[in-house]
Amino acid sequence: MRVARIKQGFARLRFAAVLAYVLPAPVWAGEITVFAASSLTDVLQNIEPRFEAETGHDLRLSLAGSSKLARQIQMGAPADVFISANADWMDRLEEEGLIASETRRSLLGNALVLIAHDPDASPITIDNGLDLPALLDGGRLAMALVDAVPAGIYGKAALEHFDLWEGVAPKVAQAGNVRAALAFVASGAAPLGIVYETDARAEDDVTVIARVPAESHPPIRYPVAALTPVNNPAVTAFLDFLDTPQAQDIFTKAGFTRPVE
Amino acid sequence: MEWLTPAEWQAVALSLRVAFWATLFCLPIGVLTAYALARWAFPGRQALNILVHLPLIMPPVVTGYLLLIAFGPQGGLGAFLKDTLGLTFAFRWTGAALASGVMAFPFMVRAARLSIEAVDPKLEQAAATLGASRAWVFATVTLPMILPGILAGCVLAFAKGMGEFGATITFVSNIPGETQTIPLAIDLALETPGGEGRVMRLALISIVLAAGALALSEWVSRRVATRVGGA
Amino acid sequence: MTLSCHLKHAFPGFTLDTRFEVPDGLTVLYGRSGSGKTTIVNAAAGLLRPDEGRMQVDDWLLFDTMRKAWLPAHQRRVGYIFQEGRLFPHMSVGQNLRYGRWFAPKGATPEPLDRVVEMLGLGPLLHRRPAALSGGEKQRVAIGRALLAAPRMILADEPLSALDDARKSEVLPYFERLRDEVEIPILYVTHSAAEVARLATTVVTLEDGRVTGQGTATEVLGDPSVTPLGARAAGAVIEATIAAHHSDGLTELNAGGAPLFLPALAQPKGSTVRIRIAAHDVILSTAEPNDLSALNILSGTVQDTRSGQGPGAIVSLDTPAGRILARVTRRSATRLGLQTGTRCYAVIKSVALAPEDIGG
Repeated sequence: MRVARIKQGFARLRFAAVLAYVLPAPVWAGEITVFAASSLTDVLQNIEPRFEAETGHDLRLSLAGSSKLARQIQMGAPADVFISANADWMDRLEEEGLIASETRRSLLGNALVLIAHDPDASPITIDNGLDLPALLDGGRLAMALVDAVPAGIYGKAALEHFDLWEGVAPKVAQAGNVRAALAFVASGAAPLGIVYETDARAEDDVTVIARVPAESHPPIRYPVAALTPVNNPAVTAFLDFLDTPQAQDIFTKAGFTRPVE
Repeated sequence: MEWLTPAEWQAVALSLRVAFWATLFCLPIGVLTAYALARWAFPGRQALNILVHLPLIMPPVVTGYLLLIAFGPQGGLGAFLKDTLGLTFAFRWTGAALASGVMAFPFMVRAARLSIEAVDPKLEQAAATLGASRAWVFATVTLPMILPGILAGCVLAFAKGMGEFGATITFVSNIPGETQTIPLAIDLALETPGGEGRVMRLALISIVLAAGALALSEWVSRRVATRVGGA
Repeated sequence: MTLSCHLKHAFPGFTLDTRFEVPDGLTVLYGRSGSGKTTIVNAAAGLLRPDEGRMQVDDWLLFDTMRKAWLPAHQRRVGYIFQEGRLFPHMSVGQNLRYGRWFAPKGATPEPLDRVVEMLGLGPLLHRRPAALSGGEKQRVAIGRALLAAPRMILADEPLSALDDARKSEVLPYFERLRDEVEIPILYVTHSAAEVARLATTVVTLEDGRVTGQGTATEVLGDPSVTPLGARAAGAVIEATIAAHHSDGLTELNAGGAPLFLPALAQPKGSTVRIRIAAHDVILSTAEPNDLSALNILSGTVQDTRSGQGPGAIVSLDTPAGRILARVTRRSATRLGLQTGTRCYAVIKSVALAPEDIGG
């Protein structure tokens, strides 16, 4: 317990230095820090200027694998809002009393796809009979960290569902977050990869060759919540903005779905 | 030993292997580069010096990315090496070793160069007058005298190899048993719920190994120094 | 055998322009510090690339800038004895000695190791490290190391100047042995008249980067106008044979019939020694001196007197022992009426002769 406190104290110091521009005093309205899963990179970067123009608040984004962000929040990172790519991490933070439960809700849904580097790759179906190793032909299947990052966790669950995991596990290349996995396939380093549909849409150099059936993995839900203590009026402004038609439009165009409750 | 899981042992073994080969790769090229920078005058000398120090000043992720472009499955160098030597780096421990080696290279060169510059060129002159060609002068006079410095470079390179993260995960990703070195395992454990125990265990092992390497190098260094003696 | 050298090299503030040709034996490059002596030797060794020049030992060309010929240092087969020895600290004495032999080309016949070790008295030192040697011992090892590389020429750059007097006397005889027992031409740099006197077969004098004279030790040291280090260094170099060793600690020598008494020498009866008699150790008298403490009195005829700017004058005397130089004041020279042909006596104190002035 003491160790955790020391770690927390030290981490606070560290993050305060890194995020020096974030002023902790609540009176200074107008700045809000949002930690969000890396798969939300494009949409949030799109929303940022619109939000700032409309509300006059300054938005700071920190985008990384949900697991990494959650860990940072546990260690005391001074974030105002957290958008995770799966419920597990949000649950954990809720258990530790780090989020304002009344602000938590499911923001978005997503789908998993199997992508290929080769633009001429033919579409396939993902089922028990899929021979992934043959398809890989000596190359690697790029995924996010299968035990930590949501995209990886969902992907592994899906493959396990179809009894394909054991066969392909040795050929998996685990990247730090889903965007890094996407980059592996985009650059051609890996011939195939499993990423979110929204990631595949954002990247020109990959081709979707299959949609991972939604039943094969837990529903993909992006919970959003404000972090305690909530004393920043910009937080409410931001959370509300996410529900505006403007923001929803951006989400839909990118390929995100309404969350499955 | 029960307090390390097999996966953790795997990470330790892999780290040792990667660091060892990274150091071995750095050694001849690093010493030769240091000698060229210390003793020869040639056009592009300053450029070479800057090139050597690039891994020190570039973000490791960038270095990893450049390695991916060059040595990845689509990379020119990667394909060439595969065809001629059957050597693959992409997503293999060899790639992790290469990444560590590249990151450790500046340390090796700096340590060796300092050592070489400390060797009195008059002794090298004397050896030349006794019939030794440049190569023989290096082998019989310079090399024995710079051994302590090279050793220091090796320890630094080894330590860097044991601790390398950014370039490794960007270049060869995190593959348990193949590229999951201790730093990558620690990073994964950090992101896994309940992984704090693993983080501490691996960190402790890391420290013990580094301290051991340092102690060994001190001992060897002292033995070598007494053999070289005074002027 | 001849060594021919032509060298031109520009330094900041100083130009070296030399040309000389010398016969076999030990050739001394004699001059003040900074006169260019070391440059010539370094060019001979291949450690310095001159702007212009040519050096050849017999039929073996070291370099010729005109023909763009340049033999790299490690192919020159010159044994270089440095001022600081430059022994390899990470090797034992034995290993240092054998170093040159390793690289000697096939067909080259170096001196046998045993002979060199014996000649230089290195037996007890073979297993020691250079750090454990005295200055004199280091230089002896340096000589041995150079010799064992089977060189075609030996270079020595002020090899004794870093040693104190006692060590100098210890090592100098080894160079004499080198000159006498080994058939390799030696190029030896020094600014010490004593070393010139004892070692030189030929002397080349250098001043400000130019050759100012060439000759035997006797000729060069005996001529104060040629001697680059000035009148202080002037002196006579004569040869004498040891006639007897006396029980009161004196050795009697026969110098052209005239007896000379010196503090006891080590050499056996009958051996020839070279003695340097510095001009300032000689007193002249026109009357035959009696009841003087000095034992060495040589009668002779004044051959020449030469005055410089100062109060001094150098008088050269022809005696049965050879040409003797005496440095006296001009006043005395005038007062005594010393001119060519005057008969007078040279008085030399026995104990004035320093050990380094006496050589085999």
